[in-house]
Amino acid sequence: MFGWELPPFFAGGVGIVCSELLKELARRDDISVTYVMPFGPKQIKNQNFKLIIADNLKMKDKIKTKYIPSLLGAYISKDEYLEKLEGLVRDKDGNVGMLKDNTLQLYGKNLLQEVYRFSEKAKLIAKDEDFDVIHAHDWTTFPAAEEASKISGKPFIIHVHITEFDKSGGRGASPDIYAIEKQGMESSDKIIAVSEVVKKGLVKNYGINPNKIEVVYNAKVNSSDIIEGAFPKFADNSKVVLFAGRVTMQKGPEYFIEAAEKVLRFYENVIFIMAGTGDQLKDMIRKTSELGLSDNFLFHGFYTRSDANKFFKLADVFVMPSVSEPFGLVPLEAMEKGTPAIISKQSGCSEILRNTLKVDFWDTDKMANQIVALLNHKSLKKVMSEKGQTEVNSLTWDEPVRRCVDLYKKVIRDRE
Amino acid sequence: MVSVCIYFQVHQPYRIKEYSIFEIGKDIDCFEDSSDSNTNNAKILKKVSNKCYLPANEVLLELLNNHPEFKISFSFSGVFLEQLEQYEPEVLESFQKLIDTTQVEILAETYHHSLSFIYSKEEFKEQVKLHKEIVQRLFGIVPAVFRNTELIYNNEIAKEVESMGYKGILAEGADHILGWKSPNFLYRPANTSNIKLLLKNYKLSDDIAFRFSENTWKEWPLTASKYADWITKVNGNGNVVNLFMDYETFGEHQWEATGIFNFLHHLPSEILKHPDNDFKTPSEIINSYSTIGTCDVEKYISWADENRDLSAWLGNDMQHEAINKIYSLRDKILSSNNSDLIHKWRKLQTSDHYYYMSTKQFSDGEVHKYFSPYASPYDAFISFMNVLHDLELELSKDEIIEEVTTIT
Repeated sequence: MFGWELPPFFAGGVGIVCSELLKELARRDDISVTYVMPFGPKQIKNQNFKLIIADNLKMKDKIKTKYIPSLLGAYISKDEYLEKLEGLVRDKDGNVGMLKDNTLQLYGKNLLQEVYRFSEKAKLIAKDEDFDVIHAHDWTTFPAAEEASKISGKPFIIHVHITEFDKSGGRGASPDIYAIEKQGMESSDKIIAVSEVVKKGLVKNYGINPNKIEVVYNAKVNSSDIIEGAFPKFADNSKVVLFAGRVTMQKGPEYFIEAAEKVLRFYENVIFIMAGTGDQLKDMIRKTSELGLSDNFLFHGFYTRSDANKFFKLADVFVMPSVSEPFGLVPLEAMEKGTPAIISKQSGCSEILRNTLKVDFWDTDKMANQIVALLNHKSLKKVMSEKGQTEVNSLTWDEPVRRCVDLYKKVIRDRE
Repeated sequence: MVSVCIYFQVHQPYRIKEYSIFEIGKDIDCFEDSSDSNTNNAKILKKVSNKCYLPANEVLLELLNNHPEFKISFSFSGVFLEQLEQYEPEVLESFQKLIDTTQVEILAETYHHSLSFIYSKEEFKEQVKLHKEIVQRLFGIVPAVFRNTELIYNNEIAKEVESMGYKGILAEGADHILGWKSPNFLYRPANTSNIKLLLKNYKLSDDIAFRFSENTWKEWPLTASKYADWITKVNGNGNVVNLFMDYETFGEHQWEATGIFNFLHHLPSEILKHPDNDFKTPSEIINSYSTIGTCDVEKYISWADENRDLSAWLGNDMQHEAINKIYSLRDKILSSNNSDLIHKWRKLQTSDHYYYMSTKQFSDGEVHKYFSPYASPYDAFISFMNVLHDLELELSKDEIIEEVTTIT
C-alpha cells in the first residue's frame, strides 16, 4: 500500500484513513501489508510508527513499513513543494538537498519531478517485496503504483480521496496533475472513490467508465480524547458555533461568516469560532470586521487534536459549509463527541449521515435558520447529539475494509 | 354467523411548508405551498385522489349497488373533508354518492385528527363536536360510534366517549392487551356500563394493508377467494371480523399494479358465497351482538408500529417540546376569539406533525419506513417551531390591537 504519513503527524484526512485501514487490515488473518510512505528530512521515523501500533501488537507482525526519502505530502501543491524544498539547508554552491549530517539526499527540482523520483524508488521496493496487489492513495502515489505494477505484474487499485478538480473547484486545475491523475485512473485495475460525488466527478471530469469505480465510504475516526490546557473563556450563557477545517475556498468559510451575520440578527450572545489556517484566512478576518462581527468571532488558526476536542466540547453546533467535500471526516468527529452537525449537501459524507442537518453551502438563510434552531431548542440539540453519536459509533471500519479486500480478490482474479 | 365489519380511515393533514425563521412575522400562510415539494397539500391531495380515492370509490359504488348486503364504514378526519371542499370538490361528491347508498356508516373522531384527549379533555370534546358538525353538514349523518386518532385508546377514553353519548368505540386488537382473548367478539370497556368495544383483527387487516404485495410472504399472491376462506374459518370462534385500515391502502400504499382493486372488487361476492358470512356496519354489530366480557386497558394503545403505543408521536424530546408548547397556548388562543388563529392552532395539533418529528425509524437508517415530506425529523421540528413562534407573535399582535380598541 502506498500511503501517507500517519497520525499524529498527519496533514489531513487521507493519513487518518490510511491508518484506520491499516489497523483494520491487521486484524484480518488473510492479509499482510507492506506500507510504503514518503519520508522527509524533518520527520521522526521511529516515534511515528510506534504511536499507531502501540495499542495493537498484532499489527507489528502484519504491517511492514518502507520509507522512501521524499518531500511529498498528501494534498501538497506545486508551490508548497517549492517552499518545502527552499526551506532545506542549501550548500555552498546554492544546491538544495544537502542535509546537516552531510548525507546527500537529492530531491526533485519541482513537485512533478519528485513524484516521478518517488515512483522510481517505488519500483525498487516492488522488485524486492512479495505481494499480490497494490493499493495507492491519491495522485502523488499513482505513478509509483503504476511502476510497481509494471515491474511485478500485479494489479493495482487507486483510492481517490480528492482530485485536483475538487481542490481547485475546476478553476485553475493544474494540467500536469490532472494528466497524472487521469493516467493513474485509466491504467489502474479498479478505482475506489470515497463517495458518489467523487465517483460522479471521475466520470464527468476524467471520462472514467463508472463500472470501474466502486464507492467505499470512510468510517468513524478513532481520534484521541486528549484535552490539554485551559478552555477559552466566554461570557456566561454565550452559545458557540464552530467551523473547523482549512480556511480555503473549498471549505466555504465565507458562507459560515454570512450565516453568522444572519444568526446574530436573532441571537446576540453567540461566539463563532473559526479554527484552521489557509490562504483565505486574512480575507475572512477582514470580512468579519467589515460586517462588524469582530466581537463575535474567534479565529484560532492552526489547531491540535486537543484544541479540536475543546472546540467540540464548547460548541453547540458544528458547521461544515464546504463548497466541495469529497467525503468530510470532521462532522463524524464532531458527532462522535456529541456535537450536532450542519453539513453542506455537496459533501460526500452527507450521502450517508442521517442525523445531521443538511443545507446547500450557498443557502446561508437556511444555514442561519438551522443554527438558530439548534441554539434555541434544547430538545433538538439533545436528540441530534444522542442520535448522531449512536449513528457515528456504528460506522466502523470493518465494512469498508471488507469491501477493499473483496476488491483485492476481484482484481487478482481478473488478472489471472 | 360471522359478520365482517370494514372501516376505512381517510385522512390528510395540513402539512406545513418549510418555514424559516426569516418568515416569522411576515403573515405567510404556512399551509399554502404552491411549490413542487411534498408539503404542497393541494398537489398531494390531487395525487392521492387520482391513485386512490377516485378509483376506489368507483369500485365501492359498484359493489354497494350490486350487493345490497355489502356494508362498510368510513372515518373522515375534519381536516381531510375541509381540504376536499377546498381543493377537490368532485372527490367529495364521489364520497357523498357512497353515503347516499345508506349502506355506509360514518364514524366520529376529532376534527383535527389530534392527540387532544391526552392533553385537554375540553379541547378533545370541542374537536369531536366540530367533527360532528362537518359530517352532518356534508353527509346529513350524525355519527354514533367513535374512533380516536390512530386508534389511540384506553379505559379513560372509553369512559369519556360513553359519557358523550356514543354507543361504541374502536381500538387496536393488540396482543399485549388481549392476551388469550379474541378480537372477534365485542367487549365492555372497564368501568363503563353501556358502550361496546370493537377490536381490530390486526392479522387479517394487515394481510391486506401491509402484506398484500409482499412477494416473499408465503400466502402471496393473495386472492379474494383464499381470503374469504380465512374469514369463513372464524365461524364458531367469533361473531365479528373487524377489518380496520387506511383507505389509502387501495392504490396509494398498495399500487394499482399489485391487483389490489381487483381484489377489492371480488371480495364481497367471495365472502358472501358462504351463507354463514355477512357484512355489518359498526352500529349494526353493536345492535346485533352482546359483549362477552370486559376489557381493561390502562395504558394508551394505538395501531402504530410494532409497539402499538404512543411512541411514534411522543417518543423523543422534540415531540414533547412541540406538543407541550401547543397545548400551553390554549387559554390564550381561545380568549383571543380570533377564529382564524384558533383554527390555525388546531390544524397544528394534527398528529402527523409530531409523527414527522419521530426519530424511531429514521435514525436507525430505515429510511423507507420514514414517511415524511421533510428531509429529516429535525427539519420537521424546525419548521413546526418557527410556525408556532409565528403564531405566538400573531397572538401578541392581536392582544395589542384589542387593547387599543378598548382604549378608544
